[in-house]
Amino acid sequence: MRQQHLLVATSALGLIASVAIGGANAQDKTIKIGALLPMSGPGAYFGSQDKQGIELALEQLNKSMVNGYKFTIQYEDSACSPLPASQAAKRLLDQYKPDVIIGEECSDATLAIMPIIEQAKVPMINAGSSALKITDPGNPYTFRIMPNEVMQGVDIASQAYNKLNARTAVLLFENTNAGIGNAKVFKETFEKLGGKILAEIGFGRDVNDFTSIATRVAGLGKIDVIPTYTLEGQGLKITQALAQAGVVKGGDGPAIQLGTIWLPFGFEQKAGKAATGYVRIVQFDPTDPRDMVKNFVSAFKAKFNSDPTHLNAHAYDQIMLIADVVKRGAKDAQSIRDMLAQTKSFVGVTGSVEFDKNNQNVKMDTIHYMETQPDLSWKALKWN
Amino acid sequence: MSDAAISRAVHPWWASRRLGFLAAALVIAALPMMLTGNYWQTNLTICAINVLLALGLDFILGYAGQLNLGQSAFYGLGAYVSTLLITRLGVPFWAAFAAGVAFAGLAGMILATFAVRLRGHYLAIASLGFAVITYQILLNWINLTQGPLGIYAIPPPPAITIPGLPAISFRNPVALFYLVAGVTLLVYFILDQLVRSPIGETLTAIREDEVSAASLGINTALWKVFAFGVGAAVGGAAGCFYATFVGTLVPDAFFITESFTILAMVIVGGMGTLIGPVFGAVLLTLLPEVLRGVGDLRLMVYGAVLTLVVLFMPGGLVQAARVVGARLGLSR
Amino acid sequence: MTATIVAQQAINGIVLGSLYVLVALGLTLIYGVLVQINFAHADFVTLGAFAAYFVMHALGGQYLLGIVAALLVGAALGWAINITVFAPLRRKGNELLPLIATIGVSVMLQNAMLAWFGPVPYAFETPYSQKVFRVAGTFFTLQSVIIIAVSATTIALLYAFMKFTFLGKALRAVAQDRETAGLMGINPNTLIMLTIVISSALAGMGGAMLAPVLVLTPFAGASVIVKAFAIVIIGGFGNVEGTILAGLLVGLIESFTTQYLDPGLIDIVVFGLLLLMLAFRPTGLISERREENV
Repeated sequence: MRQQHLLVATSALGLIASVAIGGANAQDKTIKIGALLPMSGPGAYFGSQDKQGIELALEQLNKSMVNGYKFTIQYEDSACSPLPASQAAKRLLDQYKPDVIIGEECSDATLAIMPIIEQAKVPMINAGSSALKITDPGNPYTFRIMPNEVMQGVDIASQAYNKLNARTAVLLFENTNAGIGNAKVFKETFEKLGGKILAEIGFGRDVNDFTSIATRVAGLGKIDVIPTYTLEGQGLKITQALAQAGVVKGGDGPAIQLGTIWLPFGFEQKAGKAATGYVRIVQFDPTDPRDMVKNFVSAFKAKFNSDPTHLNAHAYDQIMLIADVVKRGAKDAQSIRDMLAQTKSFVGVTGSVEFDKNNQNVKMDTIHYMETQPDLSWKALKWN
Repeated sequence: MSDAAISRAVHPWWASRRLGFLAAALVIAALPMMLTGNYWQTNLTICAINVLLALGLDFILGYAGQLNLGQSAFYGLGAYVSTLLITRLGVPFWAAFAAGVAFAGLAGMILATFAVRLRGHYLAIASLGFAVITYQILLNWINLTQGPLGIYAIPPPPAITIPGLPAISFRNPVALFYLVAGVTLLVYFILDQLVRSPIGETLTAIREDEVSAASLGINTALWKVFAFGVGAAVGGAAGCFYATFVGTLVPDAFFITESFTILAMVIVGGMGTLIGPVFGAVLLTLLPEVLRGVGDLRLMVYGAVLTLVVLFMPGGLVQAARVVGARLGLSR
Repeated sequence: MTATIVAQQAINGIVLGSLYVLVALGLTLIYGVLVQINFAHADFVTLGAFAAYFVMHALGGQYLLGIVAALLVGAALGWAINITVFAPLRRKGNELLPLIATIGVSVMLQNAMLAWFGPVPYAFETPYSQKVFRVAGTFFTLQSVIIIAVSATTIALLYAFMKFTFLGKALRAVAQDRETAGLMGINPNTLIMLTIVISSALAGMGGAMLAPVLVLTPFAGASVIVKAFAIVIIGGFGNVEGTILAGLLVGLIESFTTQYLDPGLIDIVVFGLLLLMLAFRPTGLISERREENV
């Protein structure tokens, strides 16, 4: 518990934290953080938001010091794609020589980077890639603070079957590593429980108009739930099209759309009335009453003049987790790796972290179920 | 302007062809020693792969005059065929390599057989269509290719053991660079022989005026199919190296925009010469890397540079070198 | 039930198809007159969409004014790309150079937009997209009605311009034979400028019409342009009537492939059709005298 309090203090009042733990250590000790994030192309959607969370965390940490250390950061554009990502990783390792790396968002890119950072013996903290392989088997230097596709998929499918009494489902997913992987886990779990999958509809990220897909879904008979695995842009179009076709509750239909952690806070406002009744998991709940979250939200609003998304929050937590291991005495790549592996009770704004032997976070309190109300606000379902 | 005339213009008298190849081999040998560190050494390998791609396209475009926008498809076919043979059937690397090259070459010949009647932009769009379909098949045939789920941990080529010497492992980035660059140099040598042989003259004749070439008794369709086959096979070889070099394979690496990048390398270097695309490929591979210092604006600068090069140096680097050479009085 | 689904997918396909037509028409006009491909056309579509978005929001929901703004932005972009790229390169006489130069312009514009507008998708809500009509089991939005009305009007105006005005006739003359145009006493440079400006204005307007349908990011236009190329070919390069037919056809292919096959197969069906067309009927859906390319 003591750690949690200190971390609250660090994020809210850097000044006090510095007195408590900073001490009079040498001034030029730094922990170098490398960030491998997509900054160009459509993947910049992730990178630009991650960067905001990182900047806020560093600003708060560097007002003082953690255990006598300051934090510096170097960004490299890893472009959400294996070859650019491995080039970015090699450049970062050769030229910047980071003590710890955070990134990538896309599973393919993360998987391509993993052997490189393992060879260089530099730990990497991932918060955005859901592919199972990353931590199963994974490697000793790769850590993931969000639940993998199996943990998410099993949980959503079970909740849908048990809490929503869903017996029929239609899967909508983007044709990517993450989309296909998540949909597969839902299908397996849901069918094992006795549910029936009426259709699995995958589509490329270049599909714009979802009216045809909504029409097809509308013709499939009685549907209880529609698990949807897409990013914000296509997610908006799908929700609106399903409502127009009268399939989901937002369009006065019977079906409930189920969503993943991929959609940000504010999605409902963009989607409008169509989002009513949408049940989705969020990894970050800005309405969370904990002080740490309140402080984060207000600091973020003050700095960027907008509400933080789960991407902002994840990046913030990644940096705060690094600060946490430095506070516990880590000082270089190897000791950061070792301390990270021992993490049992880190508490961040998205939830808590405890790594298993494969460096996968096993805490499920990062999954919050929300239901969208007719006034577009969230109702926490408290299923976990 | 013929290739020979240009190379005479670019290379002063002392640079005979044989000396040129020797110098190129020496440069290749020396580069990893000058550019140390994993990052720069792997950049060199990417340069070599892109040079292969550009050479293959240049043979189709610059010599046979066929506007091919489907090079990304041959690149991808080479990568996937060789990798699937290795990972699924356990075929030895070099046999899989040969199969990948042959498959890409065959695909090029089939496309060309279909498309020889078409010219200019029609051929361009037909080959683009072929690239779109190939990409979509790689993406959607998940049972075979894993699609977007990707193939991971593709092994490097097997180590070479020469009796009396330590084994050469291609896990070492420098050894892998020497391998790829060595094959690239060999391909350059073969293409150089080809374009200076009667075959090269035949192809150039078709490029310049297909009707008169046909009236001279040249089977233009056959030779176009030949050129497509050779260029596509070279692209396939690049794909085999890509897969084993990156170790990860997803279809997005062979999206159609890759074709435009390769085309830009050929044009910026100077099409219709072999040396031009070499420098075009190196320039356009390293430019985005060097521009990493510019931060988020790097691709904007890249686009601007590409446009400006085309506007002010339409003959590519080869023409620019020739102009500079003439000014300095180096050429005869 | 099945009949309703077929009717519904036909509506979906025609709405989408008329949007594709707006984008493809500009490409086909430029090709007809210049025998050139403008790769930055996609980004003109995107910029048109953003122009419509910002004007609409600044003026409190005036979507129609947004469309006009997009049209003007597109025209201005066309003028600029002609001055900077097409005109200088035409003097150099290599057909590949403008292609590569416009690829450079496209990369530049996409990344400039990324820096300017950011990568987070914009929600483009017109006052009309929430209004849903339900007729005989089918549904469509007021937005779709507007899309079809505006596309049809634009196509009719363009058609009238080409058929009945002196400039339009001159444009068609240039498209068919450069020398004839010279004989008509018209400066071909003026005609080329006019063509590019009209085409780009169509792209901008297409952007404004697509914006409520697209996932509006700096890469929005790029997702449409590959299909627009296919449409231009299937319709017969430079052939306006063929392009209109092909655009609607591709829209219908897209909706019916989604219904009966799989959305992942749309591009394979569209481009498979394209290759078949090229193999067996390379002049496009509607034959015209353009044999020299074949």
